[in-house]
Amino acid sequence: MDNSQKRILMAKTGLDGHWRGPTIVARALRDAGFEVIMIGMANTNDIVSAAVDEDVDLVGLNIGGHIDVAIRAIQQVQATRPGLPIFAGGTIPPHAAKELEALGVEVYPPGSQLADIVDAAERLTGTK
Amino acid sequence: MTENSDKNSIACSSGIELKPYYTAADIPEAHRARIDVAPGEAPFHRGFHPSGYRSKPWRIFQLSGFGKPEDENERIKFLLRNGETGFIMEHDRNTGDHCYNVNHPEVIARREDVGLTGAVMQSVRDVAICMDGLPIDSSFGHAGGAVVQHAPFALAAYWTVAKQRGFDLGKIAGTGQSDFNLTYLGCVTKEQIPTDAGLRFNADIIEFCDQHLPRWVPVSIAGYNAADTGLTPDQELGTLFANAVEYLDEIKRRGKMPLERAARGCGGVSFRASIHIIEEACKMRAARLMWNQLLSERYGINDTKVSNLRIHCVTAGSKMTYQQPLNNIVRGTAMALGAILGGVQSLGVSGYDEALSIPSEHAHQMSVRIQQILQEETGISDVTDPLGGSYYVETLTAQLVEKAWQFFESIQRQGGYLAALDSGWLHAQAAENQYQEFMATESGAQKIIGVNCFREDESPFHVDGFMGTDDAFDVATERLNDVLRTRHESAAAKALKQLELDCRSDRNIMPAMMDALSAEVTLGEIGDVYREVFGNWNTPIQT
Repeated sequence: MDNSQKRILMAKTGLDGHWRGPTIVARALRDAGFEVIMIGMANTNDIVSAAVDEDVDLVGLNIGGHIDVAIRAIQQVQATRPGLPIFAGGTIPPHAAKELEALGVEVYPPGSQLADIVDAAERLTGTK
Repeated sequence: MTENSDKNSIACSSGIELKPYYTAADIPEAHRARIDVAPGEAPFHRGFHPSGYRSKPWRIFQLSGFGKPEDENERIKFLLRNGETGFIMEHDRNTGDHCYNVNHPEVIARREDVGLTGAVMQSVRDVAICMDGLPIDSSFGHAGGAVVQHAPFALAAYWTVAKQRGFDLGKIAGTGQSDFNLTYLGCVTKEQIPTDAGLRFNADIIEFCDQHLPRWVPVSIAGYNAADTGLTPDQELGTLFANAVEYLDEIKRRGKMPLERAARGCGGVSFRASIHIIEEACKMRAARLMWNQLLSERYGINDTKVSNLRIHCVTAGSKMTYQQPLNNIVRGTAMALGAILGGVQSLGVSGYDEALSIPSEHAHQMSVRIQQILQEETGISDVTDPLGGSYYVETLTAQLVEKAWQFFESIQRQGGYLAALDSGWLHAQAAENQYQEFMATESGAQKIIGVNCFREDESPFHVDGFMGTDDAFDVATERLNDVLRTRHESAAAKALKQLELDCRSDRNIMPAMMDALSAEVTLGEIGDVYREVFGNWNTPIQT
């Protein structure tokens, strides 16, 4: 299947505006053909609304703060749209990565390869 | 260092091609005459002082803060006990940067984030707790307020506490930074005042300090925040001076204080020290030279007390890796070395756990130890400008000056620094560089040890993220309610009204801000005035 038929929502869970990481990832995903909807700094309600309204196939969260803020958004997305895949990047320390993985969220910490992230997007949206 | 496809062609981060070795003939003609100028003499590329670190060791100055004000106070005291020679108070990003109280819906939605990157300080009472027992009369203090819209609050709070403790504002030294690059380029807030209002705030601070706090660095432009967002060293230099010109032109337009004194105030800046050691050392040399040129040529200022740039430097957080974090101790040392060889007066070394979290106590201690070992054991402090006269270093210094002025001119063609922020032009430059830098790592052209090569890790130490405290939000909520319940309400209301009137007029806002802090007006109330009076900056990038 063609990546261009797949939509990815990208959001930042915190009020921390470091935009380097998500911008690079968004560019790589767009270069791979995906449609990327970036909503920037968003709270749980914003993320859940966008996931529904935009009818996305994958959610990418940039996490720069406490893992519990992200977990609240993840659980709400999972309750509203069961089965919608989620992956995450950012300054996610090892203990927090484990918590996210336990919720079925794939984690791409700093130093991850863009090729691996694009590969994950294709796998999680079923284009590969 | 990036390699082109031609293996023989190597360029430094600024894109200047490097030769395998240099000779005297490589040094540009115009720069040759400067080589024998002594450190401490104009144009100052060789250093700020003839005896350099022998008489004036660089200040060990670490960014610090998290949790409740008392948590931050404890960490600062820990650092001072371990040999830090200045101190930095960091305010919480959720509340401070946005001028929100903890009861703002966007903060409540992220309550666990509160206090993660700085202490929550919503009133002068909180700031008093954070400053308890700190040597504010004998040390160089950073009051926080790195963010432009937050600086008037943070500074006024610090000064109000200093006054309450009986200190003469005319004698205390420090800074609050108030830097555009931080939240208009690097780490963009969800809401903030437009850039023209920010320029007015900074000019107000410069004028207020001129009258009341002559030893204070009123604004400190942070090239760091531009560089760690993606600008190359030459662009970092050009951007910093384009920013300085905005301040000086505004002060000149207002005509209320001598420009020399404003230039002195703007001449305490900070840069990023990245990993290309020699290029970074050259950058610091170039910066001093450029400041001298700028003041002399654009403003006719030749007073060497003014045109001698003072530099604080922080090692590049973005160069610290998540993988094999102990390797970052070496990276921190290498980056610190570049800054020191360039003759900076103040230095912070990023924690080895930078890519995971804010620094743990041990990571913080290590950042201090790196500096102490360099300062006390290596002999690096013995001779000023140890690289001076090197064919390579003098050539690259001169080339950086030239390339940085070209970038400065590019910004001027965009309408100036603030216009280049408003339009997103600077963000586009940074984004393109970020991507190229990332792709060089991705392809392996740029090796990052432990990340894209040599990934085997035998370390017996498990480094995990330091998460601070978990009661910052709850305690801040209690304390906010307590202030609102127990302050003199009519005095607070009156002071807040006066602040609003002054914001709407062209009066300097700082006197009213001082009165507001004394009357225990809170951060979020002040932020509400800003949002009402100034509106919101139209962010040119999608974060």
